[in-house]
Amino acid sequence: MKQKIRKYYIGLVSVILILLTACNDLNQVPTGQFTDDTYWYSTDKASYVLNMAYSQMMGDNYFFANEALSDNLFVTRTSDEKLISSGIANATTGRFANEWSDCYGGIRTCNTFLENVDRVPAMDVTLKARMKAEARFIRASLFFRLTNWYGAVPLFSKNLTATESKVIGRTSHAEVLNFVRTELDSAVLALPASYTKADIGRVTSGAATALKARTYLYENDWANVVVETQKIIDSKTYSLFPDYAGLFSIANENNSEVILDMEYVPTLRTWSEYFDYSPPSAGRRVNQQSPTQELVDNYMTLNGDSIQQAGSGYNEANPYVNRDPRLAVTVLFDGGIFKVQVTVPKPGIVDSVIHIKPGSKTVDEYKTGTGNNSMSGYYMKKYYDPTFTGSYSSGLNLILIRYADILLMYAEAKNELGVMDQTVWDQTIKLIRQRAGFTDVNATDFKATWTQSELRKIIRNERRSELALEGTRIFDIRRWKTAETVLNTYPHGAKYGEATIDNGYIRLDKRSFNPNRDYLFAVPQAQKDLDPNLGQNPGY
Amino acid sequence: MNIKKINKPKQGHRRFVFLSFIFLLFVGSANLEAQNRKITLSLEKVSLRQLFNAIEKQTDYKFLYRDLILDDLKDLSVNVEGKEISTVLDQVLPGKNLQYKIQGTEINIIRKATVSTGNSITVKGNVEDESGQALIGVSVLQKGSTKNGSVTDMDGSFSITVPSGTEITLSYIGYLPENIVAKEGKLIKVKLTEDVKKLDEVVVIGYGTVQRKSVVGAVDQIDSRKIEDRPVSNLAQALQGVSANLTIQQRSMNPNDNQLNINIRGVSTMNNNDPLIVIDGLVTSLGSFNQLNPSDVENVSVLKDAGSSAIYGSRSANGVILVTTKKGKMNSRPVVHMNSLVGIQSPNVLYKPVAGYENAILKNIAANNTGNTLPYSPAQIQDLQKNGANSKWFLDEILQNALQQNYNLSISGGGQNSSYMVSAGYVNQRSNFVSGNNPSYGMERYNFRTNLVNTLGLFKLTTIMSYNRNESNSPNADTGNLMADGGRIPNYYYYKQKAANGHYLINEVLSQFTPLGSLEAAGSNKYDTDYLNGSMNAEMKITKGLTAKAMIGIDLNANHRATRSLQIPYYASEEATTPAIFQNIGGKTSDWNQKEYTINTQFLLDYDRTFNGSHHVSGLLGVSNESYSRYSNEIWMNYVDANLGIPTSETALAGNIGGKTTPMNTTLSDIESMFGRVSYSYKDKYYGEVSFRYDGSSKFAANNRWGFFPSLSAGWRISGESFMDSYRTNVGDLKFRGSYGILGNQNIDDYNFLTTYQNYDNQYSFNGTTVSGTGFTLGNPIITWEQSANFNIGLDATFFNNKFYGSFDYFNKVTSGILLSPVNPSVLGTAAGIENSGEMQNRGWELTIGYRARTGDFSHNISFNLADSKNKVLAFTGNELIHSGDSKSDIIRVGAPFASYFGYKTDGYFKSYADIQNSALPVGLDATQLAPGDVKYVDINKDGVIDNKDRQILGNAFPRFTFGATYELNWKGFDLNVLIQGVGERTMFLRGELIEPFHANYSYTMYQHQLDFWTPTNTDARWPRLALSGSTSDVNNYGYSSQTQLLNAAYIRLKNIAIGYTIPKRITSRFGVQKLHISANAQNLLTLSPLTFYDPESTEFLNNMGGPKGVGANSGRSYPTLKYIGFGLDLEF
Repeated sequence: MKQKIRKYYIGLVSVILILLTACNDLNQVPTGQFTDDTYWYSTDKASYVLNMAYSQMMGDNYFFANEALSDNLFVTRTSDEKLISSGIANATTGRFANEWSDCYGGIRTCNTFLENVDRVPAMDVTLKARMKAEARFIRASLFFRLTNWYGAVPLFSKNLTATESKVIGRTSHAEVLNFVRTELDSAVLALPASYTKADIGRVTSGAATALKARTYLYENDWANVVVETQKIIDSKTYSLFPDYAGLFSIANENNSEVILDMEYVPTLRTWSEYFDYSPPSAGRRVNQQSPTQELVDNYMTLNGDSIQQAGSGYNEANPYVNRDPRLAVTVLFDGGIFKVQVTVPKPGIVDSVIHIKPGSKTVDEYKTGTGNNSMSGYYMKKYYDPTFTGSYSSGLNLILIRYADILLMYAEAKNELGVMDQTVWDQTIKLIRQRAGFTDVNATDFKATWTQSELRKIIRNERRSELALEGTRIFDIRRWKTAETVLNTYPHGAKYGEATIDNGYIRLDKRSFNPNRDYLFAVPQAQKDLDPNLGQNPGY
Repeated sequence: MNIKKINKPKQGHRRFVFLSFIFLLFVGSANLEAQNRKITLSLEKVSLRQLFNAIEKQTDYKFLYRDLILDDLKDLSVNVEGKEISTVLDQVLPGKNLQYKIQGTEINIIRKATVSTGNSITVKGNVEDESGQALIGVSVLQKGSTKNGSVTDMDGSFSITVPSGTEITLSYIGYLPENIVAKEGKLIKVKLTEDVKKLDEVVVIGYGTVQRKSVVGAVDQIDSRKIEDRPVSNLAQALQGVSANLTIQQRSMNPNDNQLNINIRGVSTMNNNDPLIVIDGLVTSLGSFNQLNPSDVENVSVLKDAGSSAIYGSRSANGVILVTTKKGKMNSRPVVHMNSLVGIQSPNVLYKPVAGYENAILKNIAANNTGNTLPYSPAQIQDLQKNGANSKWFLDEILQNALQQNYNLSISGGGQNSSYMVSAGYVNQRSNFVSGNNPSYGMERYNFRTNLVNTLGLFKLTTIMSYNRNESNSPNADTGNLMADGGRIPNYYYYKQKAANGHYLINEVLSQFTPLGSLEAAGSNKYDTDYLNGSMNAEMKITKGLTAKAMIGIDLNANHRATRSLQIPYYASEEATTPAIFQNIGGKTSDWNQKEYTINTQFLLDYDRTFNGSHHVSGLLGVSNESYSRYSNEIWMNYVDANLGIPTSETALAGNIGGKTTPMNTTLSDIESMFGRVSYSYKDKYYGEVSFRYDGSSKFAANNRWGFFPSLSAGWRISGESFMDSYRTNVGDLKFRGSYGILGNQNIDDYNFLTTYQNYDNQYSFNGTTVSGTGFTLGNPIITWEQSANFNIGLDATFFNNKFYGSFDYFNKVTSGILLSPVNPSVLGTAAGIENSGEMQNRGWELTIGYRARTGDFSHNISFNLADSKNKVLAFTGNELIHSGDSKSDIIRVGAPFASYFGYKTDGYFKSYADIQNSALPVGLDATQLAPGDVKYVDINKDGVIDNKDRQILGNAFPRFTFGATYELNWKGFDLNVLIQGVGERTMFLRGELIEPFHANYSYTMYQHQLDFWTPTNTDARWPRLALSGSTSDVNNYGYSSQTQLLNAAYIRLKNIAIGYTIPKRITSRFGVQKLHISANAQNLLTLSPLTFYDPESTEFLNNMGGPKGVGANSGRSYPTLKYIGFGLDLEF
């Protein structure tokens, strides 16, 4: 009996042992991802974290949505940008929360890189120094984005703990800017002026200087704008690319004009915003936003006069001829050309004339409030990439700072300092206009009779025309404090509306901009709830 | 070794029992000789019990009579002096059909061996149920005997030889036993009455079974009768409405993605709320559950409280569903059962667009209201009206009636030592989407099952093997988009999806593709699953009451999906000869394979004994291991051959042409457990039970891996007390029960305790070449099990001789240490690792009542259940989290139900311009931009502006007061079955075009249910005044999460109705058919709800009801509710 029981026990124990050893172990670690213990062992892996920071520096969604906040575009559909431009955004509006968290997400990546890269054994010292500078540049650019939108923001240079994140207060706008500039100064020293081959597209010392110039520009600190832009001009590293339209094509990426951009590759790393911007005949999804008549009207005629000027040659009945060549590159208007992909008779890209005017009997025709088409009668065109694949997936780089911008900054600062003259003009606006395709001397040459304020208008209009749809306009009208005027009115579309209203130009939904509130974004409500020390910007 | 092996002999053990009996007699008499003592008694008219008491007083002997119920007849008179006990017992026991044996100082009273005494007679008869159906396998037993018995055959007939005048007991599980007196010659006809409360029903519980009367936990068992013959495509659908607080919500009726949420007793964690699924003792997944053939299911047990589910400690906090499949019966001839159900499912879209010309007028009204140019001229409107007859709603063009077929065949039976059940099933459910040139959409499932039981002496081996194959072909388009695109088009005659020449057309509204084009020509997704579920379960009787069980089971899912995406040309007009655009440029194909399997091994020791006839002790001790592995890979190719989808010279493997290739994607996890249970009951009056489970999970770090989950339950059958004798006789049974225990939950993703780095390819690029990027997820090494303290108290009662029963349960669950990703400020820059930080309470009750009545030839069986559960967040890091998307917000807030709808309260519509001037308006809105008829919000904090601070909790998506009722009526050969199911209280949040006319310029039509809008003459309208999208009024009325979008989704639905007729056996038996039943049935025939334009049953809860983003908002995109009408045929021979 005893023996029998012992036998059972032996049987039992062996069964249990088999059960517990037959299958997966209790100690499981992931097979498809690294852990903190296994990650920081190679230069390559460290560089992947830095690459992630690059991807978080800016997003194509913000690139185009920022333009939608300005008077260059009209937003058709409900979106955060629509709420903001209608003046009915509040502290819970998604854009405010997203911009905040996306920026701090990128900052975390930079800090994680900076705090761990020294763990990598036998890493090349020069490379490490350069990579650290790249990370610090990206971090500085993110703090700059933050302080532009929100004013005072939490500032730190090491990863926060969860506890710290719940009590941190905001650092003043001036101090954040100070930090950004100091970081950029050290980046300028540690970064190369240019790269070769596989590294082209990384941030350079020139990019750091240019970004620093922008930090002064947004503060109207003209003397320092001149100092920083002068450095770039003098370095002769950059020049205007000869073909304005070609600037925004895949064939000419990383050309001599590009100082800082977001890099993409066809089919692999792409953006697809034009899916919702293109005309219907090009197979788009919906129409999310479209250029305004106000933007179209900003473009001069070929003789350099504004369309309002007598003798400009502007003909309201045939408004798109005899105009600044940049208009047709930037905006698709009735009778304009859009490159469309076809498969018949054979696959390729053909020039398609787009008819928008009512009565033209095409799918692109403007219809009052019924269709899914542009409500302004215009479509966006700049950065449209006809070589897209699938649902408008484009691999075209999006430029964040280009040399023309530097020249315009330089010209503006010189004028604000009261020292605009022919030399400066010839170095800046003239070059830009000539490159745009102006040949009339009335358009390209400096006039000594211009007053400072006339020049101011000329330079500002030039800036709008040159940089339209590149995401800079909203920051310009904010620093000029003209946002409260241009964003506080009805935007308009083409002259397809009722003749009795606004001379027949389509009257679009009214915009609203409260100068006491809207120069800053709201601190996101949820963030304020989690961290009582954040406070709120006025008016929210 | 103790050999009192006499009680409850099982068929197949007979020889063993007989031998034991002989042995026992031998041992017994040997003891008798040795232990005799003399006694003196003088008793008149006493009962046996009194006699035993008297003997016990005089001697050291003690009488034991377990499993025997002594009669209380005072019919004994004993007068002895100095006689041996044996003399007395020999004198009185034979008359009672009893005998004795003496062992030490114990005298065991046992039933007398059946030896025919003299005038035995043979009694013949047959047994049927109330509807006149023969009952097969009814136990026919001579009363007082355990050996002399028989069972009814296929005709319900039996034959038994017993002493004349003795009583014969007929018993059958689920029926009240019947006694008859043996009389010779006459064929006895017996009708058994169903026992509504089924006190002797065997209820499946964790790792064992128990009789219904001994159940002390909250356990509901649904037997096959409620599941069979329902035209459902999966088991979950069949369980809807049949058990209290078993809430089953259909997320989509699409046969290609039959999504159902199964929930027991409400939301109790912020993570996964799915119950644990156990099939034939094997822990598995909801996916496997839905692969089962409902016809193979013998019963489904729902374990709701801690007392019953703590044995599954690890993941039982959300309740447990135990499925037992059918087995054959020993000693029965082969029974062949065939059944088929064929019917039509028709899509029932509850919203309908207005006529085309009406839509144009309405759009003009909206434009006029908001000061915009009128989009339609009178001529256009007249044109639309004139041609209105030619218009066809796109949604009507893409939906069709579809055929559903279910066929099942099973053979079961058994010999002396083995039994078998072999079945095959086939389901074919066609999709309601048209398919054109594509292969027809829908799903087919093949089920095969072999369940074998073999006994060999002390051993019993159960082998289960089931193979299921599911093949589905679905559109290469998202259901939501198909429904939305099809539904948003106004009824204008000039909008067409297809020209007469077969060209697919676009228009300015649908300018990329149309649903008809996508369905007919865009290719399809073929998805197939091979599911294998097999287990071997060996039992060995070690010693009396002690059984050892070992089990190994495997649950294997091999999934494969092949997607073909075909390029389609679209034309701008019917006359156009060159395509305007193409959908799916280049075409693409992808292949995805996944294999996942769980190996489950268990070893158990099971003990079950009754002592002294009153003390029932059972216990269980076990170990188990569950090991889960998953591997998957995927390949995409672009520019493949248009016909075959095979690579050509232009083909590019994804990797350099968009798409992706993934190498083996592996997930491994493991749970190791020890568990045990001890239960004790005394005379079926007092019950006590303790159980525990000790689990280790690979989802936690080594130090925090193990969790201990104990529970305690007790029950008191008060009606078993002697002071309740008259109650028992006159009223019925009454039992109180209660339980308390701690349960666990670890239903979270793997590796959360580690900080991990994930590599993403193509994350950024330099100079035209992409580079990888690495992201990180912070881990938290100290996470451990969620714990749910679970209290349950219940009451079971029967009345009117068990004709009426009722059962009530109250529960209170507090789940603490809920694993949550804490809400940290964004400045942290990443999501912090999850932590055990949340706490939730979930309270509720369940009421089940049933009644069975018989009036003349009619028999009625009614059951009804009603339940409620309500949860409350008790603790939450950060105290609240608001999640917003589109115009919907929900909130997790301490003190409020989980994921409540959050937003602004409304106070009707502005009555006048003065009303607008005097009211608080949403921040930024200008009074001049609004007009009477726009929504007026409530300024809760009275600060003169409607802003974030005015937001309130508006409602909750979880159904309250869920109920179900079944009614069965039998009359002669006819039967009627009705299932009604519904929800008493629920709010639904619906956004998009079904709420907002011309929704955000995405929708171009208004629906008929939106016609009751505000106008100066219709001021108590359901909806605000019309306004064009993008206008300030439109933003005001629909741009905020508010009561405008909230609907009352209470409903009552006639879920199933079936009428059948059984052809009399006297006719069918001529063809060798034992049973032929024909039926007509219908599902979802009738629904009553305040919500008339959208299916109130559809749910906003996402998969598994968990997570801070666990609740979405319906946007009118779901697959339509289906009405089913069909016929069934049941054949048995």
